[in-house]
Amino acid sequence: MKCKTILFAMVILLNINFIESQSVVIKNATIYDGISDEPFVGNILFEDGIIKKVSSTLVQGDISIDATGKIVTPGFIAADTEIGIVEIGALSTTRDDGSDIYKIGFSIHDAFNPNSTLVPWNRANGITSAITLPRNTSSPIGGLGSYFVLDGSLNITSNRDMVMIGRLGASNSSSRSETLSVMDDILSFASSITGKDIKSNSDLNALIENSAVASYMELMPRDLKALYSLMNENLPLIIKANRASDILKLIELKKKYKLNLIIMGAQESALVSESLAKNNIPLIVNPINNIPNSFDELASNINLSSRLEKSGIKLMFNTSRAHNYHLIRQGAGIAVANGMTYGGAIRSITSNVAESFNIKGRGVIKQGNIADLVIWEADPLEPSSMPEKVYINGVDVDLTTRSSRLRDRYTKNLEKPNTYRN
Amino acid sequence: MHIKKNKLILFIILISITDFSFAEKAPFESTYEALPPTNTIFRNANVYDGEGNEFSEIDLLIKDGKIIAMGSDLPGSSEFIEVDATGKWITPGIIDIHSHMGVYSAPSVTTSSDGNESTSPVTADVWAEHSIWVQDPQFALALKGGVTAFHVLPGSANLIGGRGVTAKNLQRNTINSMKFPDAPHSLKMACGENPKRVYGNRSQAPSTRMGNIAGYRKSWIRAEAYLSRLDEYEAKSDDAKELGYKPQRDLELDTLAGVLRGEILIQNHCYRAEEMAMMIDIAKEFNYKITTFHHAVEAYKIADLLADNNICAAMWADWWGFKHEAYDMVQANVAIVDQARNGTGCAIVHSDDEIGIQHLNQEASKALSAGLKAGFNISKARAMKWITSNPAKASGIYDQTGSLKVGKNADVVLWSKNPFSVYALAEKVYIDGALAFDRNSGLEPSSDFDIGILNPNKNRIQE
Repeated sequence: MKCKTILFAMVILLNINFIESQSVVIKNATIYDGISDEPFVGNILFEDGIIKKVSSTLVQGDISIDATGKIVTPGFIAADTEIGIVEIGALSTTRDDGSDIYKIGFSIHDAFNPNSTLVPWNRANGITSAITLPRNTSSPIGGLGSYFVLDGSLNITSNRDMVMIGRLGASNSSSRSETLSVMDDILSFASSITGKDIKSNSDLNALIENSAVASYMELMPRDLKALYSLMNENLPLIIKANRASDILKLIELKKKYKLNLIIMGAQESALVSESLAKNNIPLIVNPINNIPNSFDELASNINLSSRLEKSGIKLMFNTSRAHNYHLIRQGAGIAVANGMTYGGAIRSITSNVAESFNIKGRGVIKQGNIADLVIWEADPLEPSSMPEKVYINGVDVDLTTRSSRLRDRYTKNLEKPNTYRN
Repeated sequence: MHIKKNKLILFIILISITDFSFAEKAPFESTYEALPPTNTIFRNANVYDGEGNEFSEIDLLIKDGKIIAMGSDLPGSSEFIEVDATGKWITPGIIDIHSHMGVYSAPSVTTSSDGNESTSPVTADVWAEHSIWVQDPQFALALKGGVTAFHVLPGSANLIGGRGVTAKNLQRNTINSMKFPDAPHSLKMACGENPKRVYGNRSQAPSTRMGNIAGYRKSWIRAEAYLSRLDEYEAKSDDAKELGYKPQRDLELDTLAGVLRGEILIQNHCYRAEEMAMMIDIAKEFNYKITTFHHAVEAYKIADLLADNNICAAMWADWWGFKHEAYDMVQANVAIVDQARNGTGCAIVHSDDEIGIQHLNQEASKALSAGLKAGFNISKARAMKWITSNPAKASGIYDQTGSLKVGKNADVVLWSKNPFSVYALAEKVYIDGALAFDRNSGLEPSSDFDIGILNPNKNRIQE
């Protein structure tokens, strides 16, 4: 009896070892590596979740996947989503994106639901990881986003609180000039917080009491810790802004406080592209949105991405932020149709996101990086083409979604009542 | 069968009588006039004709606003501009059956938010055309996406939201001069979450889905009574008419009676399968026809029922999740509706969106691709119907446009590539045979809003 148990245990052990040590080679693929302008035909070898070799000469692996004539890209990285913190948009009880108490240090990290239907859905569309951002708080700077790998594991792979957000622009009540003053006051206050202060909540409470802006805004120690990270840990700060004059004001703030600034929306950025390029400010733009949706966005134009690329600005793309993030590929395709380079469009949803947000080991197909890879049935920027295979951390992930299950239920085995089908 | 025929005859007589009775000139008639025609012969084009056919390397002739001929090596003449369409594609003008352009204009500001008269759950008396801001800069953007006609609906806050209007995508200074001649009005109805949320939040009916259903039925009961009062009056002799009182007109009931008479088409916002089925029952109870279910995220669950009742579904290719009733999206929805009952289903791809309307060809492409993956055998030529002839039929303008049939209006798009590709751009767009947009020459309309707004010397997006 004892012997049997031991034998059984050994078999399991061997099995695990066997799975872990299997190497996979994707052969003869047309590789857009996420960096290069042009694709190259080659082979990608990965093992234990890590890319071991990218080569134009043949490499051997335990499992061989023929990708002749197929495009392989890095898994796409979504730069601006609410994936994992919303299940149904208009149903507030399924939303975890807002805060009542914390105006700056509000983190959505612990609300992330890897079992959300949005995770397999986005994954099946080639999006393998995502930055999830909260709703704007009542403060013009505040709210922390996190980065999540969309493998669906309850053992979440994430970068916690890796970005702060903010906004500047038209409002129903107060002037944007006041918003800028408040930003300046907050950042000035943030500069005064020391490494010693953040070790003690009582020190932080004292700082709040002695600061007009912090008292008025009823900041908490948690908010001050976030501000300390912003000023001292080079935390990316995404500010949503559109009007050209607002963008110039944000550039001034970046210089004054040495911010790691990223501007999102940026519908009028082409009017100030020289300043943006000179100050190395990456942008997150929606390549499909050419609607002058407010008086801040009058310059909205379908050729925005192409013009910004020509100015040498690092671009990332966003789109509808949750269920419909798959539209990002269509958006990238539309950017190309309107003058952007293909390589540039791919970078905007891969390496540019990884670089701008300091995401290590992803977004580029190269030796030593994590094997987040997508084999496409056809051109990934044609929205009609879908992934054939998606690897996250080197694991061949299932591409079934609730939507594909519903499709099958209503197209197969129709002789049974629907509730008795698969 | 016999009885039905009799009914039909009676119906026609009623229409003629009532038409006569409202002999006073109908207000808000179309005063549309086409631009001067650009008589053109397209050479060597690839064509999707909107009827389900594909042609390669063929010539197309448009003259005096109409499609004159399609064939090989058509004779040219100095009268025609020759356009070399080698390697390019021609389709009918794209038609969007669900737009809020003009009633939810850009910029999206409170002063232009005119799409929902959400002050009462039944506002059959309001007409979307009376809200349209003709300077909305969104029209020109849609034109660059190949859209030559669109149907503007009121929003979905109300059970019965008001009349919709079909317009030519040729921006003019009055809405009457944009209205599609002889296009019927529609009536917007809405199922589900929106009406019950809007009024439920005010502790007013409807606050539930059963309240929604009661609300529709109460309205139709009033409409039936109104119609019979009108009919009774019209049936009287002239002498009797002089002695009696003419029933007072009621704007709300005028519209509902128009539906019962078959003059106004029902465009019904409805996501869930069971709600669509109930709306079909109500239509049978009151003897009217539903033309199209809009959004219809769950149409695939009742595709046969829709086909059996000759009802179209206007759908997105893949939008979902923004509300509970949009949770069960399948990308093959459009294809499943199209293929129901041996391909007799009527599928439409709509936008309901100022960005989506610019890319309806791509939306059709996604829907087609999903259909092929689900195992259906659907051609691109057939999928082109989803954004051309099917929406034309469902908005009552198919006799004039929606396909490249000889004699129809020359609403034509020349695409740089196959329009099922994301890289295809509309190069030239013709409305009634007149060039309205030309990407190469830079001919494009700009609304008065666009003039000098960012730079006094330029138009809004001029570089």
